[in-house]
Amino acid sequence: MIKNSIIERILQKALSNGADFSEIFFEDSTSSTMQLLDSKIVKSITGNDCGAGIRVFYGNKAIYAYTNDVSEKGLLKAAEVASKAEIGDKSLQVVNLIKTVYDSPHKIITPFNSIHNNEKVAFVHLIDTASRNFSEYISQVSITYMEKVQNIMIANSDGLSAHDQRTYARVYVSSIAHKENQMQTGSEGPGALMGYEFFKNLDPEELGKTTAERAVKMLLAEYAPSGKFPVIIGNAFGGVIFHEACGHSLETTAVAKGASVFADKLDTQIANPCVTAIDDGTMPNKWGSSTIDDEGNPTQRTVLIEKGILKSFMIDKLGGMKIGIPSTGSGRRQSYKFAPTSRMRNTYINIGSDTIDDMISSIEFGLYAKKMGGGSVQPGTGDFNFSVGEGYIIEGGKITKPVRGATLIGNGKDILKKISMVCDDLELAEGMCGSQSGSIPTCVGQPTIKVDEIVVGGRKEK
Amino acid sequence: MFEKEFQNIHNLAKTHDIKDYDVYLSKSRSFSVKIFHQDIDAYNYSDSIGLGIRVILDGSTGYSYSEKLDKESLNMALLSAKDNARNVDYKEKVILKNYPSIIEKLDIYNGKLEQIPVESKIKKAKEIEKIALGSDKRIFNVPHALIGDNESFFKIANSNGLNKEYSTNACYGLSFCLAKDDNETKSGSADTMSRNFDDIDPTKISNEAVQKALELVGAREIDSGNYPVLFNNEMSATLLSTFWSIFSAKNVQEGQSLLKGQLDKNIANPILSIIDDALLSAGYNTRPFDDEGYPSQKTTLISEGKLQSYLHNTMTALKDGTISTGNASRSFKTSINISPSNLFIKPGLTSKNNLYSMFPRCVEIVQLSGMHSGCNTISGDFSMGALGFYCEDGQRKYPIHNFTVSGNFLQLLKHIVGLADDLKFKLSATGSPSILVENLSISG
Repeated sequence: MIKNSIIERILQKALSNGADFSEIFFEDSTSSTMQLLDSKIVKSITGNDCGAGIRVFYGNKAIYAYTNDVSEKGLLKAAEVASKAEIGDKSLQVVNLIKTVYDSPHKIITPFNSIHNNEKVAFVHLIDTASRNFSEYISQVSITYMEKVQNIMIANSDGLSAHDQRTYARVYVSSIAHKENQMQTGSEGPGALMGYEFFKNLDPEELGKTTAERAVKMLLAEYAPSGKFPVIIGNAFGGVIFHEACGHSLETTAVAKGASVFADKLDTQIANPCVTAIDDGTMPNKWGSSTIDDEGNPTQRTVLIEKGILKSFMIDKLGGMKIGIPSTGSGRRQSYKFAPTSRMRNTYINIGSDTIDDMISSIEFGLYAKKMGGGSVQPGTGDFNFSVGEGYIIEGGKITKPVRGATLIGNGKDILKKISMVCDDLELAEGMCGSQSGSIPTCVGQPTIKVDEIVVGGRKEK
Repeated sequence: MFEKEFQNIHNLAKTHDIKDYDVYLSKSRSFSVKIFHQDIDAYNYSDSIGLGIRVILDGSTGYSYSEKLDKESLNMALLSAKDNARNVDYKEKVILKNYPSIIEKLDIYNGKLEQIPVESKIKKAKEIEKIALGSDKRIFNVPHALIGDNESFFKIANSNGLNKEYSTNACYGLSFCLAKDDNETKSGSADTMSRNFDDIDPTKISNEAVQKALELVGAREIDSGNYPVLFNNEMSATLLSTFWSIFSAKNVQEGQSLLKGQLDKNIANPILSIIDDALLSAGYNTRPFDDEGYPSQKTTLISEGKLQSYLHNTMTALKDGTISTGNASRSFKTSINISPSNLFIKPGLTSKNNLYSMFPRCVEIVQLSGMHSGCNTISGDFSMGALGFYCEDGQRKYPIHNFTVSGNFLQLLKHIVGLADDLKFKLSATGSPSILVENLSISG
């Protein structure tokens, strides 16, 4: 990409006002998206993102500047802007850059450009047909096909130099069922750190059918009841509860400021002993994995909670300096336009030994949230909320009927203690997580779990 | 600016026999500084350019974009847009015209803003944190004390001679603080945006954020049930900015809006009017033309309860046999869509205080969470986490938390029974007065 001697000059320029550390992140990415609607390809966009971000530390202060003028002159200007933000007392020299090449566990088999466009278009149409054939209530199917290759290079004044190529494949399907004045959607968005082989291994008919089935089921469902009761949360995307309620509060972004409810809770019991939670960036070809993080460190498997006890936070370089614990390879960013910060990768609650049947039969009145929708949390207070995509009422220890429109709300530190049963059916699900350093691919996941009590916001009183 | 690059594209298009196309360029510069413990916590500067190309070939549209503007990259972008047009089997009539320009002078760029020294911005951000922390011992943390500004330049040209550009800039200040009492944490936030740096008043921003956090401390729970609900102006604007897409003609035509077939019908209480005004004086999204180069205008979407218009670009307008409302939107990376400019609910004549006494009791909502997950913009259903006050006898009785408010946005429009006179715009350029809704489901 750029010669070492030029990079060293840029890093040196960035140090020139007495800074402690400088870093450059260079990116050259290509991406293609195609959208199907009304059973037609309606959109096709190809693009190139190219630019560099320069980060400078003065103590624990981080300065970030980016530009897409990647000529030496343009980069030196950005480095100068960043360096001038502060005055430091250091006079450091950039350590000679030594390039580290990591062996990637994420092998890519079929590059996107080896497959003709017609095949990609045909794949998308198969999903659409399967969804529409499932039910006459299906009035619209929206499918987004996405492929991306991100090339990055990172170098810093400590002598680190590393690069990575990340190949992403994802398809997002949303089926809409319609009846009189009512509309409901069913969505799935499988993805992976893989080439076109990901689509080859995916069953388009199954994908169309699953989303259609959920939309129709919810269309015909009653509104969910309101109140406080036990809730069973389904596996895979159900993990969004942990992601939102706890994951974000375990990122140093929140911890370092004391803005997290877990900030001072290391090595203490924060969850029921049946809860073990892991954030793992090394799982081969998983959507949230990568060989190195966006600060150039190899990614790791980080045990966050072990048998209810808080074991680790997710830590980036700057966050690590602030809390005095080394990086867990968790520094991530959407693109060169964002300074990296600590972020989740593939985050999940590990398997337990309970069964779904035991969970259901233990509940007199409650909700089975089989498929979760999205959600959000305010790390400062730990308050979270998320929507239920597919829900059922449990009465007298049995599932009785589907319900829609439910929202689960609560507080992260409370809910962790109220998880009382964990199954062994662990699965992960792909999503895009938005936070300070942009929108990045992450997996959420869990086995089916039971929460003893949670506020359900529905439309009907119990 | 960028005449050479645009000329290159015109020449290359001729070489490749590409007849119908347009080019959209945006150049932006942004700065922000965030303070924590009276020190710089984050300092961001950016300077970036991107260019998007749209090619129309036999009725199909293909897009591409590039962040590199050298001749070779532009050539590649032009060719891949042409290839993408071949992929697309959806045919749509696209009008590429040289639209006239509006004469009105819009105050959307203040050259003085570019002269403000960085030190002044840092000083102001520090004040935001300091004032908040010093105001009350229960305020223990100010995670966001921020000052920022940005400047954007847009240029649009097409194969039929259109060639227009404009610049806009603004600055803003933001405070987000946390208050703690016993084991309970509450947050409060406030922000201001202006084209004059002096308008960003750290005292005002901090005091507002602090007050919002403190008034919620000591919150109780509330019994589930149906209540009249008063959304304060900010939360009502939040609802509108969440559900605005029902007005998009594109969503209507694609069968993704409940307003399909509702034109000229009464869809809301007659006291309600909703307006989109791209020429609004000092509006955050005020602009001379939209992202197709179409002149800006003021559009009444709902007039006294009746749906009068959708938001259109030229393509959706053509399909509906009407004319564009100047709401085309795109970034250099995306295809042309529709979005509001300055969208707001027309304020009423009464004060917010009078709304409290319209019912014997009501729930006032001052914070909402879960807009992106708890709201379904297609069905109109919403169920969101909320904080606010239980009100009785015409006034607030005590703060409440840990409850959800749910309903359907279209139903809500029909059941708005009170509008205050306190119109306020959020940074999203959506505005509203406080509104009173007859009946919504609260669960706690």
